[in-house]
Amino acid sequence: MYGSVSTHDIPAQATTGLENEDPQQLAEFEARIARGEKIEPDDYMPALYRKQLIRMIEQHAHSEIIGSLPEGTWITRAPGFRRKMAQMAKVQDEVGHAQLLYSAAETLGKSREDMLTDLINGKSKYSNVFNYPTPTWADSNAISWLIDAGAIVNQMANARGSYGPYCRALERICAEESFHLKYGHDAVVHMATGTPIQRRMMQEALNRWWPPIMTFFGPADKASQHTEILMRWKVKMASNDDCRQQFLDMYVPKILEIGLTIPDPNLRKNEETGKWEYTEPDWEELRRVINGDGPCNQERLAVRRAAEENGAWVRRALQAKRQAPKAVRPLA
Amino acid sequence: MLSSLDPRIARLALPDTAPAPTPKAAFDQFETFEVFHQKKDGAAYTYVGPVHAPSADVAFLFAKEQYSRRFACTGMWVVPTSAINLTPYVGDQESVYDGVSAIVPTADAPAEPQEYAIFHLKKRGKAHTNVGLVRAASAADALYQAKLTFGEQRPVVNVWVLPWNEVLTLDPADRDIWLTTPEKKYRDAIAYKVQDRIERFKLETGTK
Amino acid sequence: MTDPKKDLLYRLADDQLILGHRNSEWNGLGPILEEDIAFSSMAQDKLGHALQLYSLLHELGEAEPDTVAFTRNAAQFHCSQLVELPIGDYAFSLMRHFLFDHAELLRFEALAASSYEPLAQVARKLKGELKYHVLHANTWIRQLGTSTEEALEKLQAALDLTLPYALGLFEKTEAEPAIIAEGLFIGEDVLRAQWLENISRVLNQTQLELPDLSAITPVGGGRHGEHTEFLQPLLDEMAEVFRLDPTADW
Repeated sequence: MYGSVSTHDIPAQATTGLENEDPQQLAEFEARIARGEKIEPDDYMPALYRKQLIRMIEQHAHSEIIGSLPEGTWITRAPGFRRKMAQMAKVQDEVGHAQLLYSAAETLGKSREDMLTDLINGKSKYSNVFNYPTPTWADSNAISWLIDAGAIVNQMANARGSYGPYCRALERICAEESFHLKYGHDAVVHMATGTPIQRRMMQEALNRWWPPIMTFFGPADKASQHTEILMRWKVKMASNDDCRQQFLDMYVPKILEIGLTIPDPNLRKNEETGKWEYTEPDWEELRRVINGDGPCNQERLAVRRAAEENGAWVRRALQAKRQAPKAVRPLA
Repeated sequence: MLSSLDPRIARLALPDTAPAPTPKAAFDQFETFEVFHQKKDGAAYTYVGPVHAPSADVAFLFAKEQYSRRFACTGMWVVPTSAINLTPYVGDQESVYDGVSAIVPTADAPAEPQEYAIFHLKKRGKAHTNVGLVRAASAADALYQAKLTFGEQRPVVNVWVLPWNEVLTLDPADRDIWLTTPEKKYRDAIAYKVQDRIERFKLETGTK
Repeated sequence: MTDPKKDLLYRLADDQLILGHRNSEWNGLGPILEEDIAFSSMAQDKLGHALQLYSLLHELGEAEPDTVAFTRNAAQFHCSQLVELPIGDYAFSLMRHFLFDHAELLRFEALAASSYEPLAQVARKLKGELKYHVLHANTWIRQLGTSTEEALEKLQAALDLTLPYALGLFEKTEAEPAIIAEGLFIGEDVLRAQWLENISRVLNQTQLELPDLSAITPVGGGRHGEHTEFLQPLLDEMAEVFRLDPTADW
């Protein structure tokens, strides 16, 4: 589950470094992408391509592992066998997705250990929505359906990107996300069309989650040289705004048809432009939360850190019997 | 103590502010193993991805649940990444074998021939698929033998050569570990059908 | 409870439900990403087993599986005390998994020949699934049981702690003679002897020591509804949402 890679946090003055690349290799690389061929790990790639992909796939992986926590909050309390088993399977999938994505990022040269270390040291970012709490079962359902729906919009776009290992991982992930989406929808529909208590729980959860959902895809991309290059190299596949519009197109009708209301009086589709209009999300809050000041940032990192520390003796024991550990990069 | 809405986390009794992570003295990461999956009897083994593990037997335990917890599976191969020999990648319309020629014998005593599993990648971004086994004196020789046996196939974007003695396979008698996997429908999208409920709701609320 | 079939099924199903629930607590918090996934799968399997067994009970006239699982209180549960203990550290959870799953595999192997055909069918079906569970447990105990001082210390402590409770898995109920006489199951004594042999064989390949069984008093009571202080809070937590609205379809 992951929002868009945002070009927003790239410093405006950052250079592309392209002047340091071999012009002929660069031209062949660009021609390959233009032909629709994928890039594989051992191919030449510009330093900027490698750097941006590592950062993007790594953030995506972190979002999965941290993203398992808000729904994990309800894993011991899911009501009934059907939900209990599915909630476990879903949380398990998020961990599985992290595993796939860390592996894809490793083919670019950064070890999984380094990525996990950067995560628990607070050096790496992950999707902002997971810094919000899930106070009720309905909140967990809201994530299962709508955050995963948003993630699918994004991941389907990224699966058309140019880097082979990321595409392979995303193909598998998207297949599993289709279960998440259906499961989430099923759970929300049961709540929204259920008893008065269920309906109230679901509406309140939607009210809490709508603002984070609207920031999920990130602020509108700034026009920059970077954005243009990353689009040309098929690293960034769709603009943040396009993803948000697509999400609203697909899901607003589905939310409304089950009797829920969306807590934004300004939300409407402009029939002339074909675009959704909405209250501008609070980007200042997004920035604050990304930088550590959200309701759950501290807990998420503390938990991840505890999991790493509590499991360290297991990894130490298994390492002890091996020769000097060395980094091995997965092949594809 | 850190308060949490998650009862599991509350039981961990974490301090309010997490202490700084202990700096690691040494690199603490297992090597990787590559995993290949067979979806039905007779189908070619296909690459599904890597796992991190301290040994091949643990890698197999991990691979089984990471790569075959959904849908039918009839077999799985696990091999250390470091044991795989691979060619460079060529373009989507080309064949790696065009650049492969016979191995010039060296003065060393010829090695005892052994088996190698050959995997082809047909298109960049797709997965490597097993095309068969060859017998050869070395991995380089195996690539040439593969060219003789499978070289007609095109395109071949990349070839992996796996020494067969490094591949962990499952005893066919134990294939029943996957017997119930296809029945775990709660993991599949298809198990969640909710349209009837929506239609009924619309009728009841007069929104249809 | 007098019906020997129901007596047997409740013990089986309650063990599966409670241990599956406990082991699910690790999901997302495990020591290695891949192991997190594997351990979660096995917890899901245990819930799946519980559901199948409660469904058999339902066919025998008991309430729906959800009702049975989510609305009884601790005194109405027949699980062993082993499965209700908190997850502890990973050594504890692994050791419990090892001791429990060895017994489970043997139990279902024997049940495959049960005179109660619906149960025998379930047992036959699960053979492969349980084979993986035991393979997983054995591999981990062998790996960690021959590793660092630190790991050995943790595992030995876990073994010493869990063993008396594990012996409680074989606690008999008053239905035992009828269960054996009717050919439903081979009985707890036979099972216990086989189990001891199997776990000893694996432990002998490690630096861990099986404590002297003659000096251990098995911790029983669970089969008769006597439980540790941990079961009722577990059940309250599990049913927190379910009980919010008893009329709801979740």
